[in-house]
Amino acid sequence: MSLLEVIGLSTHLGEFCLKDVSFSLDQGDYLTIIGPTGAGKTILLESIIGFWTPEKGKIILQDRDIFHDPPEKRRIGIVYQDYALMPHFTVLKNIAYGLGKQKIQNSAKKIKALARSLHIDHLLHRKPHTLSGGEQQRVALARALAAKPRLLLMDEPFSALDPQTRQEARRLLKKAVQDTSMTVIHITHNMNDAWMLANKTAIMKSGRLVQFGGLMDVLSRPRSKFIAGFVGVNLLKAHIKPGLNGTSIARVLDTELTCQESTDFPHSGVIAVRPENIGISKSQPVLVKDWNVLEATLISIIDNGNLFRLALQFEKFKMDAVVTRHNVAFFSLKKEDRVYAIIHQDHIGICESQDSQPLENASCQADHQAHLCA
Amino acid sequence: MQRLNYFRLTCIFLAQFVTVLLVLAIGSLLIVPEFKDVWQNLWSEEMQYSLKLSMVTGLISTGIVMVFALPIGYALSRFEFFGKGFTKTIIDLPVAFPELVLGLCLLLLFGNAFVKTLLESIGLNFVFTKQGVVAAQVFTSLPYASRIMKSTFDYINPRLEFVSRSLGYSMLETFIRVSLPLAKNGILASTVISFARCIGTFGTVLILAGGSYMKTEVLPVTLYLNISYGNMGMALTSGIVLMAVSFIAIYIFEKAEVSL
Repeated sequence: MSLLEVIGLSTHLGEFCLKDVSFSLDQGDYLTIIGPTGAGKTILLESIIGFWTPEKGKIILQDRDIFHDPPEKRRIGIVYQDYALMPHFTVLKNIAYGLGKQKIQNSAKKIKALARSLHIDHLLHRKPHTLSGGEQQRVALARALAAKPRLLLMDEPFSALDPQTRQEARRLLKKAVQDTSMTVIHITHNMNDAWMLANKTAIMKSGRLVQFGGLMDVLSRPRSKFIAGFVGVNLLKAHIKPGLNGTSIARVLDTELTCQESTDFPHSGVIAVRPENIGISKSQPVLVKDWNVLEATLISIIDNGNLFRLALQFEKFKMDAVVTRHNVAFFSLKKEDRVYAIIHQDHIGICESQDSQPLENASCQADHQAHLCA
Repeated sequence: MQRLNYFRLTCIFLAQFVTVLLVLAIGSLLIVPEFKDVWQNLWSEEMQYSLKLSMVTGLISTGIVMVFALPIGYALSRFEFFGKGFTKTIIDLPVAFPELVLGLCLLLLFGNAFVKTLLESIGLNFVFTKQGVVAAQVFTSLPYASRIMKSTFDYINPRLEFVSRSLGYSMLETFIRVSLPLAKNGILASTVISFARCIGTFGTVLILAGGSYMKTEVLPVTLYLNISYGNMGMALTSGIVLMAVSFIAIYIFEKAEVSL
């Protein structure tokens, strides 16, 4: 039985509409919601917690419809991007605020233990405005966790943190969530948050949940060009037919790729390959079972800091690959080099299209070549 | 050094020009009378009565105004409801209304036979009475107080209230524990400005309460009556008292850092 079931939730707020959102989460699930600004992510969270009254739908938490319950009766915690710490309270009072309505024995001890686990026990008598962003974020998390919510909602809680603090915050959050088996819904714009924390992911666009599923499933098998662009996946139009031993053969123009996924009948479709799942070699690798090897020309190298994005021109289509600085240096990669792209059969996803911008339109070059959509 | 900019210079000149004019006007109030006369007038029977009535009615009116302004400001800041725009316009209307017209409206309402009888049945009579002074002051200063309270609540992050509710506190508990403490500067500013408006209300009091000598005579009425009799000393003394109240109010308002 699911911990949370959101069924057909629609909220009308001014000119914005949350439209028919449905998904469910089990105890201990960690869902990241990704989507462009204005997609309705925050309104979805605030509708679940009860700050806005939805027009229709059901919110079933632990087998009970809480649609008509006021927020104070729902026992759902929230951590905001700006942390929303009470400026007139000390850190200790902020954390204890959530316990004020609950009769908890040894509450002072529990608060101190929680503060220690989040490394804020030395800040308990300070006011929020004297804390750094990272410290404020941990206080907000401690306050939410202290109240022992049935569900924790987080609205871009790391967005104001520097990369190092963000990494530390992710680590602490992951530990805190694992220790309590907390179910979490986390809005983020940072894919690393999803990679490190989530087991499920949802993509939102214009008030709709356009894809929801397991993290790897969503990130590897986007249902539309929009989602592919958002999660950074190469999409290629292909003719897919059954292969040997339960595999499938995806024919992209003149090139054939073997996919581990099976298909029962030939059809036109789209395959997805994540850029980080494309290995690069300058010398032709010895053919190994389960791997696809394709020859390509390196048409551009973009330095993204610790990673490089390579644009690869295959015979009649393009794909992006992401490699480390070490790879680039080791192979002395430069523009116009001939290279070999190596893709494992497991890393080629066969996608289904379900939203308003179908995958069939994803490859939209005028010459009908399959192309990179990420 | 900043480059010469005529627009900047013009703006600063106009601001300083008006300031000088106001300082001259206010200063003349202090220059004309002799301190000895002001002191004597301050202790005269009429001034004592007027001062006492102004303070008592001012304090009662301010209390009533704040009881209404807090929920009105909160409702206008936080809630969406049918007729919100209309409500806001009507509550703000007395700010732009001439005080005399407001007084006339109130006189027609409270002087209406049916309303008068209804109010009298609960011991209230606002026409040409001290209660009328309070009513006039309340209706004149309520828009200012509710505007200050609205902008105060607008500045408080509503997410603080959302979080409080998610932690188990009802809307009322959240208002008391979160919104009110964070609005304390605004409440102080609103109270002080309301008190100053109540003390200084003239036109509405004159029409509704009558401005009768030693009966409904508050400080602005004292000023008006004494100007009419040609008693400049008393008029100036009440002017100085009113100005002192205004100065203190504006000083506290500025300290509270809340703008209208």
